[in-house]
Amino acid sequence: MSAVIPRHRVNVLTGIKSARLIEDPVGYADLIKKAKRPLLVIGPLLLASLPDGKLLLEYALDIAKAAGIPICATAQTRGKIVELGVQPDCVYDTVEIVNALKDPDWKGVKKEGNHDLVMFFGIRADLGNQGLSTLKHFAPHLKTMTLCKYYFPHANYSLPNFKKDTDWQEFLESLIANLKKGD
Amino acid sequence: MAEVKVKEITRKLEEIHEKIKAEIPWEPVGPTPMPEIPDLRQWDMRLLKTYAPFYAPFCDLCCFCTYGKCDLTAGKRGACGIDIATQQARFVLLACLMGCSAHAAHGGHILEFLIERHGPDKKIDLGGSINIEAPHIRTVLGLKPETLGDLRIALEYVFKEIAHLLDSCHTGQEGSALDYESKALHAGMLDHVGMEVADIAQIVGFNYPTSVADTPLVDMGWGAIDKSKPVILVSGHNPATSTVVIDYLREHNLEDQVEVCGLCCTALETTRYSDKAKIVGPLSRALFFMRAGIADVIMTDEQCIRTDTPQEAAKVGSAVIACMDKAMYGLEDATEMDTDEIVRRMVDKREQFAILDSYKAAEVAVRVAMEIAPQRKKEWLTEEEAIELAKKCTNCRMCEQVCPNLFNIGGGITEVAKGNFDLIRQQFLHCIGCGKCEQECPNNVPIFKIMQTAASMETWKCRAGRGPVMDTEIRNVGAPITLGTIPGVIAIVGCSNYPDINDVADMVDEFAKRKYIVVLSGCAAMVAGMKKDKDGLTVYEKYPPNFDGGGVLNVGSCVANAHITGAAIKIANIFAALPLRGNYEVMADYVLNRVGAVGVAWGAYSQKAASIGTGCNRLGIPVILGPHSSKYRRLYLSRKEEDDWRVMDARKREIVDTVEPAPEHLAYVCETKEKAMVMMAKLCIRRNDTPQGRAIKLNHYISLYKKYIGAGLPEDIHLFVRRDPDIPLVYKKEVRAHLQEIGWQPREPVGLPTLIGTYPSKVPVDAVIH
Repeated sequence: MSAVIPRHRVNVLTGIKSARLIEDPVGYADLIKKAKRPLLVIGPLLLASLPDGKLLLEYALDIAKAAGIPICATAQTRGKIVELGVQPDCVYDTVEIVNALKDPDWKGVKKEGNHDLVMFFGIRADLGNQGLSTLKHFAPHLKTMTLCKYYFPHANYSLPNFKKDTDWQEFLESLIANLKKGD
Repeated sequence: MAEVKVKEITRKLEEIHEKIKAEIPWEPVGPTPMPEIPDLRQWDMRLLKTYAPFYAPFCDLCCFCTYGKCDLTAGKRGACGIDIATQQARFVLLACLMGCSAHAAHGGHILEFLIERHGPDKKIDLGGSINIEAPHIRTVLGLKPETLGDLRIALEYVFKEIAHLLDSCHTGQEGSALDYESKALHAGMLDHVGMEVADIAQIVGFNYPTSVADTPLVDMGWGAIDKSKPVILVSGHNPATSTVVIDYLREHNLEDQVEVCGLCCTALETTRYSDKAKIVGPLSRALFFMRAGIADVIMTDEQCIRTDTPQEAAKVGSAVIACMDKAMYGLEDATEMDTDEIVRRMVDKREQFAILDSYKAAEVAVRVAMEIAPQRKKEWLTEEEAIELAKKCTNCRMCEQVCPNLFNIGGGITEVAKGNFDLIRQQFLHCIGCGKCEQECPNNVPIFKIMQTAASMETWKCRAGRGPVMDTEIRNVGAPITLGTIPGVIAIVGCSNYPDINDVADMVDEFAKRKYIVVLSGCAAMVAGMKKDKDGLTVYEKYPPNFDGGGVLNVGSCVANAHITGAAIKIANIFAALPLRGNYEVMADYVLNRVGAVGVAWGAYSQKAASIGTGCNRLGIPVILGPHSSKYRRLYLSRKEEDDWRVMDARKREIVDTVEPAPEHLAYVCETKEKAMVMMAKLCIRRNDTPQGRAIKLNHYISLYKKYIGAGLPEDIHLFVRRDPDIPLVYKKEVRAHLQEIGWQPREPVGLPTLIGTYPSKVPVDAVIH
């Protein structure tokens, strides 16, 4: 987000560090591909379907599969993920996974070290933003990214506010295609 | 220098002993009577070691002083040197102090009001089944209050501590997040003392039900209100005025001619006084009800009343009387004005007044209501009218952007325009009633008015608040709770309807059915009754009102929350025979390790909820919050695989690593009702559970997991199985196979688990052995 910063910002500051908005799926895919130990955190909003009947969760699983990203299931999502034939790599609630991620010494879900890119997908905007704020302030060792259809200012990278679900759907499909392309 | 310090400590202790009448030997005085900020700090630090503060900053800045605004991102400190974590902790302390002050000041007002009526020597008598009348005051202060006048001692102590805590929030003082947390825990503890004072005073002074479980079932919902009569709406928390309104109506034989209904906790208080009073609903229905114009007179008192009440009332022609100094709305203070003149000006000129004399306010309210009611129209919007109004909506979704519950009311309104009311009826259940959607609407769609067509005219039942849990009940359930055969106490408290108003009723039903004890208070107690089962019964009609497995009870308003935590203390004192006088650490340690209780503040929004919850935490009771409550900025979370789960086995005098995260968190946010259901069962697990009790608790944990999350076992089940007998019979095969697969090894349960002895404390390990 670009904004004009007043000269004497000490008097008028209203928020200082906001997410970089990325609208290009290629750019998003590149960021994901560059990550060494990414993690996808799946929230319960993905249990809903788009108008064409496709479960949002399926997009998340496709992204994880395309880029080989481990999955963290939050809330009650584990059941549906398993039903779709995927075993999540870990099960935590949102605040629990954020709590673990903010520890630089945490070994991560694969026990290979903490993650360097954490993607959040399907978490309520209020809780999601607060969790991202925690990581923004207390986890400088990692970057955060969101895949929801609205802008999340506390993330490092966020999608814009999509006016139409079809535009968002198109973005996700393109992202998956780009991830499948490999390097 | 050291000698001076010793003298100072001795003098202070003598003063405390004098205040708490230490010479009356009902119990020996424990190590921390009337604790000050540092006195329970070590206990707090021990809690915070396992349950570390988790901060989710709501803002990147500090805006408190004129050196700012200060950017606290990326490790930067403010002009005073504060960092982002400490600033969050400071903010949480401030929130807790607001909450604590609200209850304590309420207590102070009502106490003086009742002392004026009954005198300071009025005996505290809570009936034949309650001897431990004030578990918090006894535990925290070391005082056994015998009269209303004695309650002043407790409040003076609370007020003094509040001043010290608030002082610490000034710019350029405390520099440690953990110390701010200890102070917040102190404020939370004080809050439960203040609440206890308020509710004991009310029970004694207003002759509320006590020592009884089967309190009346009262009518709830606007459908229960006869709007053909003059209607007086009382709103807020302090019943000083609403009870006097009832008295006035009784004295003038008008009780059947005037409707008295209430919003928020004043509704609960008023129905403890008169079963003819009606409950409109929780706070979330306040604006909606006001805008419906059904109330002829609105009387506000304090806390969680809307700050725009005068403006909203004026729009629909309702009269307004502000009855408390906390919220005078800039209105003319008519306390000293002639009653006839006030009535005349309110009726003729529709003027609004502050009247701080409850007796005068009550008379004015009744007279004004009776005069203006016949002149007013109270018409509900028809569906045809709603369809016309809804046609202005373009579904631009501006409303969604400002909705605290994150839904698009515009979608529902556009459906109304098509003649379809299904969606808006569902949305009404999610609406928290803030009204921000309507003011954001570029087309000025009267959303709340349209929602009248979605609001059910159905009526429900709520059980009137019963006050403290009886000592006799504690004697019956003490053993099964601490052994685990009653699987837990679920206390659903506070504000009501995030994210869905039905959630609370579903939670109550699920856990009462499973023979947990379900205790309710405040707005949550109302919404629990706002759903009927297939037989048309609310949870209050379906389940017995006893503090026993499968019971569903309403203790009363917000201040009655002290009775819920008080019940936990009573278990330690009555059942386990541990002395409580000035013995906070021992009580809290007992509750943390042995009383399987969990608080659920599902719709929490207020600062009072923050302080109530934080007070629960210091006493060792975990609290689950709804997803929006991440905006409180701070949780207390453990990391189960890595944190310190060692306890002292008081019988063997050795420190044991239990491995089990029981309870796993102290302040926790759940995103969904489904997850909360599972967590509620899990957070009732305690180290003290017998194998039989543990098996019962794990049975519920596993079955709730399977019901709400899906197939399979909880991923952390191995942490809670100590030996084979802990495994519930129904899941024996499945759990055994899983444990074998992951290489689980059995471990011995701890005979008498305690944190005492694992951190520096004045309390000896002997103190926890009963």
